[in-house]
Amino acid sequence: MAANYWASTQRLHWQFSRTELQDILQHLENEDPALTQQYPLLDRRLLSIFYNQQLVKLAKRMSIRQQALGTAQVYIRRFYTKVDVRNTNPYLILTTALYLACKMEESPQHIRVVVEHARSLWPDFIPSDVSRLGECEFYLISEMNSQLIIHHPYRTLQELQGRLDLVQDDVLVAWSIINDHYLTDLPLLFAPHVIAIAAIFLAMTLKQSSGGQQAAVNAAAYLTDSRQAIREGSSTVASNDNVPEKRIGSFVKWLAEGEVDLQAVADSMQEIISLYDVWDRYGEKTCKDQISHVVKARGLDK
Amino acid sequence: MPSMVYKNKVRVRDKYRIVGFISSGTYGRVYKAVGWNGQTGDFAIKKFKPDKEGEVIQYTGISQSACREMALCSELSHPNVINLVEIILEDKCIFMVFEYAEHDLLQIIQHHTQPARHPIPASAIKSMLFQLLNGLLYLHRNWVLHRDLKPANIMVTSKGEVRIGDLGLARLFYKPLHSLFSGDKVVVTIWYRAPELLLGSKHYTPAVDLWAVGCIFAELLSLRPIFKGEEAKMDSKKTVPFQRNQVQKIVEVLGMPTKEKWPGLVHQPEFAQLQTVPYPRRDSGSAGPLGLDTWYWNTLRSANYQEGQPSGSPGQQGLDLLTSLLDYDPTKRMTAEEALHHPYFTANGEKVSANCFEGMTTQYPHRRVSQEDNDIRTASLPGTKKNGLPDDTLIGRPTKRLKE
Ligand SMILES: Nc1ncnc2c1ncn2[C@@H]1O[C@H](COP(=O)(O)OP(=O)(O)OP(=O)(O)O)[C@@H](O)[C@H]1O
Ligand SMILES: [Mg+2]
Repeated sequence: MAANYWASTQRLHWQFSRTELQDILQHLENEDPALTQQYPLLDRRLLSIFYNQQLVKLAKRMSIRQQALGTAQVYIRRFYTKVDVRNTNPYLILTTALYLACKMEESPQHIRVVVEHARSLWPDFIPSDVSRLGECEFYLISEMNSQLIIHHPYRTLQELQGRLDLVQDDVLVAWSIINDHYLTDLPLLFAPHVIAIAAIFLAMTLKQSSGGQQAAVNAAAYLTDSRQAIREGSSTVASNDNVPEKRIGSFVKWLAEGEVDLQAVADSMQEIISLYDVWDRYGEKTCKDQISHVVKARGLDK
Repeated sequence: MPSMVYKNKVRVRDKYRIVGFISSGTYGRVYKAVGWNGQTGDFAIKKFKPDKEGEVIQYTGISQSACREMALCSELSHPNVINLVEIILEDKCIFMVFEYAEHDLLQIIQHHTQPARHPIPASAIKSMLFQLLNGLLYLHRNWVLHRDLKPANIMVTSKGEVRIGDLGLARLFYKPLHSLFSGDKVVVTIWYRAPELLLGSKHYTPAVDLWAVGCIFAELLSLRPIFKGEEAKMDSKKTVPFQRNQVQKIVEVLGMPTKEKWPGLVHQPEFAQLQTVPYPRRDSGSAGPLGLDTWYWNTLRSANYQEGQPSGSPGQQGLDLLTSLLDYDPTKRMTAEEALHHPYFTANGEKVSANCFEGMTTQYPHRRVSQEDNDIRTASLPGTKKNGLPDDTLIGRPTKRLKE
């Protein structure tokens, strides 16, 4: 249901295992092998970063709130599990996703305004005729089966902030980690509360030591181990060497006592850490050229 | 392959046969249909048409209201909420396919006013109200405010099951990241509009829906809207007017709200305006406001609600419940959950029937289905606005909805 994640369409229809997701994407590429071959594309993770950066540019121009941006990001990700990128004009898709997300997040923007802003950013890719965006909206909604309500990790973060006495610093870092998770497949893989917990945990461990990233990796491993330890009734986890700070220990303890899937939390942490690695390899130009090439060559901008 | 074009995979006319036309609402038209492929039951297909720009129909962006209704109905599933079968996007139109409901509360109320007024049996009212509250509790538990509860939006199936319909104004209210008052300005058909909204409050809460339930309860008993005010129209500057007449109608029955009974009253934006509403003062030779008790017992008497009579009686408990629903103070107003546990429903240990027609001999007429326009493709659409202003920039039918 709408506010109940467990009965939501998000959980029932848009949450996949890694292998399921892999299969879905593979299947898309296999639909038209010639097309796939003719237009080889970069690592999806790099393209994700590209789409996202474009989207952020547009959102900034229009002063759109983060939650609407997050919703748009999830829409785009869902859409591209149904349609191969090579059959779309990503610029139009992401503009449309943002337009729709704003409506759903109760901060509607006029279609003309959205098109104007998008055109000023990507004049070669956004048709001036607003009805093209309107048409694309149908496409998006239809591929998403009208399932437009998105559950975000921000809510869990806000809830836990009070319950766990999180310090402001941790909350801020966790918040921006959540912002970053939309650049990965995580929204299609795990429940929002799992992501929120992973973000909190990362926030706590990253600032722990100077070797922040390594600390986070350790923490992820530690989390997986500690689940075992806690299950076995060991109360010594909090004093584990890898994670010296007591606060984290008690956080883990709190986690283990609940119903949270710790393996999923650890997985999410890993995914975010590797996002930062991928990011280091990212170059906007290559992505841009590739996308432009497909769109232009196939006349998808018309 | 040419440019990116939307092509629908499912076509309405391939799956459904339109039997006739039911109604033309704010956002489009509703048709009755049956399935071509042996789907069981009848369907109501709500067609949202895009705004017309010139001669050809264009994509102009889906209204926020349609987006909400599509998204919420896709998530909701409860025996007392209208069941969405599917949504088809085709020919620049949205088709929402619902299970068909033969009746609605407005139609049932109207049936009881003709040829002469005859009361809806007390047991039927109890069942209708119980089911309505049950559906509302589900919505509220899931953080959905309906915001437009009124008899016409409450459907009843031929088996006597109540289904809350028309979620076009419904929205989620948890959204902690921003306040609830952005977006549309005024909500709920004026007769069912809660006092805090009439007094300009922007923080609406689930309590607004319970006020509407109170009004509906009263209307089921008396067969007339209890607070039938005249809507003040928006002026040319598009400022939302103070609904003086509507407030007056409420005050005539319930008396002036006081800050003793409603501490938040003085903080209502239109508090000053409230002082200017004429109302019958007890001292000036008049008998003062009627009082809900008097209204209630008068209504019961003239409708001949009595124990031992065929229609039975909602009794003292009914008044208690009604009083709690029509509490001025939204923070004290009864919640859906509390209402369901009210002695009105639970006394005597009997279970409220899930069929509001149980034991009744009355046959309600079938929903009127006209043949005038049963071409679902038809482009001309009487009663819709001429100029496209998507994103809730439109102003609805003046007596119904005002949107920013
Ligand atoms: N499931 C249904 N079964 C039968 N009739 C229905 C159904 N849904 C809607 N209707 C009929 O169509 C009318 C309009 O539907 P609905 O209230 O959903 O649309 P609307 O455009 O929001 O209208 P309004 O502005 O009049 O409230 C209803 O009052 C009812 O008569
Ligand atoms: Mg209606």
